[in-house]
Order: sequence, then C-alpha cells, then structure tokens
Amino acid sequence: MFRLQGSKVLAVDMTGDAVKAKNGSMVAYDGQMAFKKMSGGGEGLRGMVTRRLTGEQMTVMEVKGQGTCWFADRASEINLVSLQGEKLYVESSNLLATDGGLRTGTTFTGLRGATQGNGLFTTTVEGHGQAAITSDGPAVVLRVSQQYPLIVDPGAYVAHQGNLRQSFQSGVTFRTLMGEGGGEAFQIRFEGDGLVYVQPSERNTIAGDV
Amino acid sequence: MPFREINSKMVEATVLPGQRLFSQRGAMLAYKGEVSFTPNTQGGQGGIMSMLGRRVAGEATPLMSVEGSGTVLFGHGGHHIQVINLTGDTLYVEADRLLAFEGTLQQGTMFMGSQGGVMGMVRGQVTGQGLFTTTLQGHGSVAVMAHGGVFEIPITPQRPVHVDPQAYVAHHGDVRNKLSTALGWRDMVGRGSGEAFQLELSGNGAVYVQASEEKL
Repeated sequence: MFRLQGSKVLAVDMTGDAVKAKNGSMVAYDGQMAFKKMSGGGEGLRGMVTRRLTGEQMTVMEVKGQGTCWFADRASEINLVSLQGEKLYVESSNLLATDGGLRTGTTFTGLRGATQGNGLFTTTVEGHGQAAITSDGPAVVLRVSQQYPLIVDPGAYVAHQGNLRQSFQSGVTFRTLMGEGGGEAFQIRFEGDGLVYVQPSERNTIAGDV
Repeated sequence: MPFREINSKMVEATVLPGQRLFSQRGAMLAYKGEVSFTPNTQGGQGGIMSMLGRRVAGEATPLMSVEGSGTVLFGHGGHHIQVINLTGDTLYVEADRLLAFEGTLQQGTMFMGSQGGVMGMVRGQVTGQGLFTTTLQGHGSVAVMAHGGVFEIPITPQRPVHVDPQAYVAHHGDVRNKLSTALGWRDMVGRGSGEAFQLELSGNGAVYVQASEEKL
C-alpha cells in the first residue's frame, strides 16, 4: 500500500509482499526488510539483452518484508499513479517505486529520446497496481483528448499514460541557425486520449540550447 | 517557544533581554529591534575546556550569540528547517546541521565510541559523522537544517527503526543506536542493493529523517 508522507517521502506498508524501488532510495524502515538487487528493462534473458543494447539499465532493488518502509530520492517531489491494466511510459530516472505485481520493460522512443537527453529508450510499467514517479517540483497532470493535442517541452516531460501517439516537432527556422533561437526549438506532440505528467523544471537538453 | 516557522526554509526567533540564543554564524537574514550579534570564539557554551573539547572533536562550527530585544530571521543555504522542542531529554545532532538553539540548552560533545564501542566508531566513519557528535540537553527549542523535508519516526521498544545513514538527521530520547550491516555475497560481487549499511535505533524516543540522501 503506497501513501505519501508530505510531498517528498513515500511510505509503503508491507505485509510480506514485495515492492520494486530505485537502488539506494530507502531512507528508513521498521520491522523486517530484505533488500535484493534486480535489474530493470524486463525479466529473463531477453530483458538482459535489451538492457545491454538500450542502455536503459535502471538499477532496481526488490524490497520484501513486514512493516513500513520509507523511500525518497534527492528531495524530489513524488506523484502516485495507479494503473488498472494500462501502460505507463516513464523515464527510468523518474521512476521511484512500483508494486511487485507490475511488469517493467523497455521501449524505443525514436528521435524524442535524443532531444530529452535521456537516450533513445524509455521504461514502461504495465499491470494492476501503484507506481511512484519523481519530478523536480510538483508535477501537473495534463489531459489530452482527440480535439486537444498537447505539445510539451522535452526537458519538462516526465511520464505519460493512455492511448497516445507521440510525434516530434521542431520549430527550427533560419533564425535558429543564425543563433537567434528562442530556446524552444524542439517539442513533443501528443495526440489521442490520455494523461501527460509535466514538471515545472527543465532538464538540460540539446533542444534547450538552440 | 522562541522559534516560529515562517515557511519551510525560514524561522523567526524572538529575542528578549536576558535570554540568549546561539546560531550558526552568518545565518541571520534580517532582524527588527535592538539585537546584537557577537561571534562566539568558544563555539558554544561551557568554559575553555569544552571549547578545547569541541576543537579536538572537530565539532566546532562557528557560532554567534544573539542578544537584545527584537525578532531575528534565520535561514541558511535554502535548506529545510525543522524546529524541535526538547523537554528535558537529549538531542543528538551533527554540529553543521545546527541552525540555532536556545541558550537554556546545555551543549556537549559525545564520543561515538561511548555508544557501542568500536562498532560505534566504525559507524561514525561509515556515516561520515566522524568520531564525535553534538548533544543538546534541557528545556528549549532547536532549529535543525536538512536537505528536503524532514519527517519524524517514533521509536518504541517493540518497534526499532532502521535508517539510511545518509538520510539520518538527528534523534532524541533514550535511544541506543548501532550500525547494522546487510552485507552479503551480492555486495562483494558488485550487485548490492545500495542498502548495505543501516543505522538501527532502538529504545524510546524519535528519529528525524530527511527526504534525501545528500549531505548538507
């Protein structure tokens, strides 16, 4: 059972079940807990190969036991997402913890990944349960519907869920090439039906410089 | 209670004649009224001997004493501030995390080895706290700094608490602490979970934990 203690600490009450969390993110616990390292990017041999190839190797630990365990990561804000069978796409650096029952995997993001400064691959979380994602500053959840597509700065994008198509758009003009760009040369465009999590802060991206 | 939290990163202290406050040097942001700040070469209370003790222990953060009548705003480095009220028990805290405290509190230095012997000394080294830590005892309030928000976990004899050494801020009460290791063969081959060392706190009291694993 995930609950937030303040906005920066995640408390998980456990009764013998397991939770997957980012390596080293535990700050305190009571009761009995065991920590075991796992590797992200999917299970089994296939997962191992994709991890090697994609570089999306989030180091995850499995926490198992009885009691309460508290997680936090560099004082960043935490958002809880509950999943009912749908898929959540999130940057591996923004994923703090997931229920043990959720499956994690890796997908190809295309050109978008490169502009986000996060590489070409992203992490997916799928199944029934709760996930905790971190953001630099409190994240806003923006709804995308058929009539209203959403355009997001790659550096401020955290995660998305639902039936969304994403495309990459650039506003590079003659002025940008002359070094007179507005700093917003690249954007991600979301179309379809779903939710996008956006943080009030921008990571360093290639797009931010031009 | 002289400390009032303005927001999560600033406290306002009320200074009255005859009541002294100690604060980290340079932590004053603004003040109203007639208040004087004098650098405290002794780095706190007690005589010359306790000053020497702190110097030797490396727990001598530059302090200043604040006297007069008025209100003073304290804050430092954008860190979160937690006000802790003591009612006769002892608070254990790192000297560089102390922002300000009332003059009514007795300041002291504790040798890590006195709690848990050699293991206590190892603990100090592993957690980066060094061999000594600062204690404050008596009635009064203390403003402590931490990176990110702070939350309090009560400790009861039936419910010992384990804390990541990097996220530990302070503790008070009648608490024994020791370093527990969960080192396994996995850590030896570089597949550790990143949680090899933990502080185990048991007894009666409370521990303050910050929402981050960064030192100040």
